[in-house]
Amino acid sequence: MSSEGLIDADSAARIGTVAATATGEVNRRDWQRWAAAVGDHNPLWFDTEYAQANGYRDVICPPLYLQYAVLGVTALDDLRPDGSSGAVSGSLAFPRAPRRMAGGESTTFHLPAYHLDEITMVRTIASIDEKQGRSGSFVLVTWHTVYRNQHQQLVAEATTSMIARP
Amino acid sequence: MLTQHLFYDDVEPGDALPELTVTVDETQMFFFSAATNNGHRIHYDKEWARDREGYDNVLVQGPLQAALLARAITDWIGGAGRLVEYSVQNRAIALPGQPLSFGGTVTGKRLVDGAGLVDLDIAARRDETVLMPGTATVALPLRGAL
Repeated sequence: MSSEGLIDADSAARIGTVAATATGEVNRRDWQRWAAAVGDHNPLWFDTEYAQANGYRDVICPPLYLQYAVLGVTALDDLRPDGSSGAVSGSLAFPRAPRRMAGGESTTFHLPAYHLDEITMVRTIASIDEKQGRSGSFVLVTWHTVYRNQHQQLVAEATTSMIARP
Repeated sequence: MLTQHLFYDDVEPGDALPELTVTVDETQMFFFSAATNNGHRIHYDKEWARDREGYDNVLVQGPLQAALLARAITDWIGGAGRLVEYSVQNRAIALPGQPLSFGGTVTGKRLVDGAGLVDLDIAARRDETVLMPGTATVALPLRGAL
């Protein structure tokens, strides 16, 4: 990684380190608001009787909502100029590649999450690489994230990536 | 209501999921940003999206596309099925007002420790353009096991 590239030394030094840890409570009303915003009216997320008829002890959190249950609170003054918080990505920033986009996500779901479960997320920076695309160089960042509940059970693990372009 | 069970026994490679079609509008985008505590201006500030990031309009959130694609799967498998693995890549942007489709195809099935696992190729599309390709694995109940 040359100093001429898009990746500064401070960011490169963080590969392999924990980018972020967060703990949050899974909340039924919050996941139901999310599901409503998706137009996802699956009764597993809404209807206790239906969920119990399918072997759950109560309604369950939609799998893709889990990642939001641990989001923290960012003061307006701490937002980046583009309005994003940066907290979940461990505030990785690339001054030479400020335009950021989600790359992809790959998640394995091991257990359901229920209302008031306490989820702890540990996110590690797996890699930071400079790549060549159709429209020039970009930075590809990959994180590995593990979610556990209050019983230390593995609920989900994910690999996510972000693209940052000049 | 999703009262009909989908069984492992009844799914074969090549089967297509019922396609979900959604035209995301700015109201839905607002609620999704609110529900995910996402302040990124690119999803609500047209001037920022145009002048600072070079797009024609605000962009539909990638995680909203992902959630809609997952919805197509969880609607299909019903209450007795379980999403086990879900993997997608953001490949192209989508703008509000564009009809998007979300679907998939069964690529394989296997019994692992008594669980019926079904593998899928999935994609979000706008006409022929693939916005978000991916793969997923679901666990489905076996006939006679429920």
